[in-house]
Amino acid sequence: MLSRPASKSSRYICKACRSAINASRKRKFGTNSITSNPTSDDIYDVVTVGGGPVGLALLAALKTSPSTSHLKCLLVESQSLAKQKSWSLPPDAYSNRASSITPTNQSFLEAIEAWRHLDLTRVQPYDEMQVWDAGNAASIQFDWSAEAIKYNAPLRTVATMVENSNLSRGLLRRIEDVGAEESMMSGWNVKGIGNGIDDPEGCNLSTWPVLELQQIGSEGSQNTKQIATRLLIGADGINSPVRTFAGINTNGWDYGRHGVVATLQVESSSDPASPFQNSVSNDDFDSALEDFLSDDPKSSSSSSQPNFENITPSNRATAFQRFLPALGGPIAILPLPNNHASLVWSTTPQIASYLKSLSPSAFTATVNAALRLEQVDIQYLFSLPTTISEPNNTSPHESELTWRLQHTKSTPPSRSPPWITALQPNTIASFPLRLRNATSYIAPRIALAGDAAHTIHPLAGQGLNLGLGDAECLSRTIRYAVEHGMDIGDLMALQGYSGERYAAAVRVSTGVDLLNKVYQIGSGDGLVGSLLGAARGLGMRAVGMVPGVREAIMRTVD
Amino acid sequence: MNPLRHDFIQSCLRSASSASPNSNDAQNPEATRKYKYLDVGCGGGIFASSAARLPNTVSVTAIDPTSEVIKYLNCAIEELDSHIEGQGKESFDFVTVFEVVEHIDKPAAFLRQALAHLKPGGWLIGSTIARHPMSYLTTKIVAEAPWPIGVVPPGTHDWNKYVNPSEVREWFAHENHELHTRNVETSDNEGRIEAGDKYGVVRVEGCIYLPLLGWKWAGGTAEYGNFFFGVQKLH
Repeated sequence: MLSRPASKSSRYICKACRSAINASRKRKFGTNSITSNPTSDDIYDVVTVGGGPVGLALLAALKTSPSTSHLKCLLVESQSLAKQKSWSLPPDAYSNRASSITPTNQSFLEAIEAWRHLDLTRVQPYDEMQVWDAGNAASIQFDWSAEAIKYNAPLRTVATMVENSNLSRGLLRRIEDVGAEESMMSGWNVKGIGNGIDDPEGCNLSTWPVLELQQIGSEGSQNTKQIATRLLIGADGINSPVRTFAGINTNGWDYGRHGVVATLQVESSSDPASPFQNSVSNDDFDSALEDFLSDDPKSSSSSSQPNFENITPSNRATAFQRFLPALGGPIAILPLPNNHASLVWSTTPQIASYLKSLSPSAFTATVNAALRLEQVDIQYLFSLPTTISEPNNTSPHESELTWRLQHTKSTPPSRSPPWITALQPNTIASFPLRLRNATSYIAPRIALAGDAAHTIHPLAGQGLNLGLGDAECLSRTIRYAVEHGMDIGDLMALQGYSGERYAAAVRVSTGVDLLNKVYQIGSGDGLVGSLLGAARGLGMRAVGMVPGVREAIMRTVD
Repeated sequence: MNPLRHDFIQSCLRSASSASPNSNDAQNPEATRKYKYLDVGCGGGIFASSAARLPNTVSVTAIDPTSEVIKYLNCAIEELDSHIEGQGKESFDFVTVFEVVEHIDKPAAFLRQALAHLKPGGWLIGSTIARHPMSYLTTKIVAEAPWPIGVVPPGTHDWNKYVNPSEVREWFAHENHELHTRNVETSDNEGRIEAGDKYGVVRVEGCIYLPLLGWKWAGGTAEYGNFFFGVQKLH
């Protein structure tokens, strides 16, 4: 406890220093056993706990930049990185953990020369997002077509779907490329974190984090190691032990929802409006434009008003998201190559476990229903038995879907969602949805990145993007500190990272959270619910109609 | 302000290598060169320790005449020779005088002492404050105001001792002329004429402190506020 100063003129300890003192006091995570400092072999500049895409991207970035490549780095991961590196799937099968990478992050991955190590035949850039609401007739299309038409240019990519394993493997290949494989310890657990000691005959590491590592062995032989580091980075997920060691709390809540993921096969159709093949060539576009602009009365094959929605410049792929306020959250279909797609369906835990219990054909029928039928119809499907009792081995879900489709007054988005034909076996999984934000992303000699710092709702596909943005900013912050002779673990050196990333994460997570809340309204059947749903629909239409607004929204998450 | 010091040093080095691409830089490219620093008036050692951390630093010798600064060499520039015996004259790549010149009674003599320790090709880098009504406002009236506005104790600065960028330039031009004339005179005996000036072009950059944002480069403000100066000893 700080004693009262004896006189007015004596020491004032500023708030930053006081919190540093408290943070260093709180730092005991599982180990009191540090009685001597590690030897210089085991003292590092930067230790990153966590070998997910965020930790790997950071290591690759540090080793790529000439200013920081000399730093003694270590990455600790409990799972096998060798297995990650040898990950391989055939061209007609896709992992169910895929993320939508923004162009900014793609540029970052290109800058650290990792992008070219990805299997680029397995990534799917998409240039359009169709968003619509089952509670009303509104829909909005997100793309850069306004720009493309204005400048007569090809459509800009909105984002690129990448399997997480493809990304991790690419990063591992890049790390091997720069000769930094020795900087990774895979199959090691962090047993505890403490501080070093002030050794009068050696170094004063009393403010330095010291990690106790234990090798995950099958023989029971305890292989342990103690390492000290100037800067400790927690890229170790939502329950980050590094964050606990730093004494940093989190705010947030559980959404009471689960995200159901799966890999799907979709119909490749010859329908020109199909999103999964080059629907209209640039030539068609040019001639349609010519027809429209010419005074010739017999021009324009269809109506006098050309439908630009069907003749936008060649569209590569479309992402679809339909909000289902009465059913717990949105369903999203994200495109993958070769007529595949990734499903992310945010819904209640009950519906999630129901979905997981369905047979593959019943599951695909339910997904098709969720993209097309009214909410009450979809709700009815959830009440059907999961065992097959009908002739021809068809599930009751399929027959219900067929019957109700005929009677559904459809209000589809301007481009129809794809027809799901099959479920890739063993790809259905679910995870709980939560919002978490650490109260600080930095502490003396500590920085948090990725899910350790923030976790958000998946409905905007921004979680991994925020993490990669963290890796980029942190590598840049460390580079600046090294180039300006700073102690990279100094709080002042880390402040730039915190300032930039905290604001970004709060902006995105709040926006996504609000959007989620807005789209939970109208979950009841009553008058108020439907009125609010209609209001929401007006809002959505307004966003679409006012020029520049949807471009502004897209730029925010770009 | 410390990060700006490193930025300025880098920009001086870049200007040197672009001006003379054929010099010993060819054998010794920038990336592999190693430097010895002399930090005069190092105070608490903020710059000295940051220079020591840079990967291409061989050594940093930091001196200060005030006795509270005990971790570093406690001496004035005049006494330096007796402390660094064996190193010889002209042994440092950089001699840095940050926020020093405005506290010196006789800056010309002081600078001559400092310059004597520079290697040929080495740089004298410093920062100080210009003598202008604006700097009187910012450094005396605002900076030395009572709490909560002020940031330094009253009496820290003497506005009359501030040095203008133009005065720095004039002084080096004068030194060049003096030394050139002197060399021409003595070379009458040896039949050799020293060609070229001793000191290169004086680089000057103004900077400014913005509340909440910190120190920033500010192009044309050198004449009336804080500024950095850098000059290379050519031979």
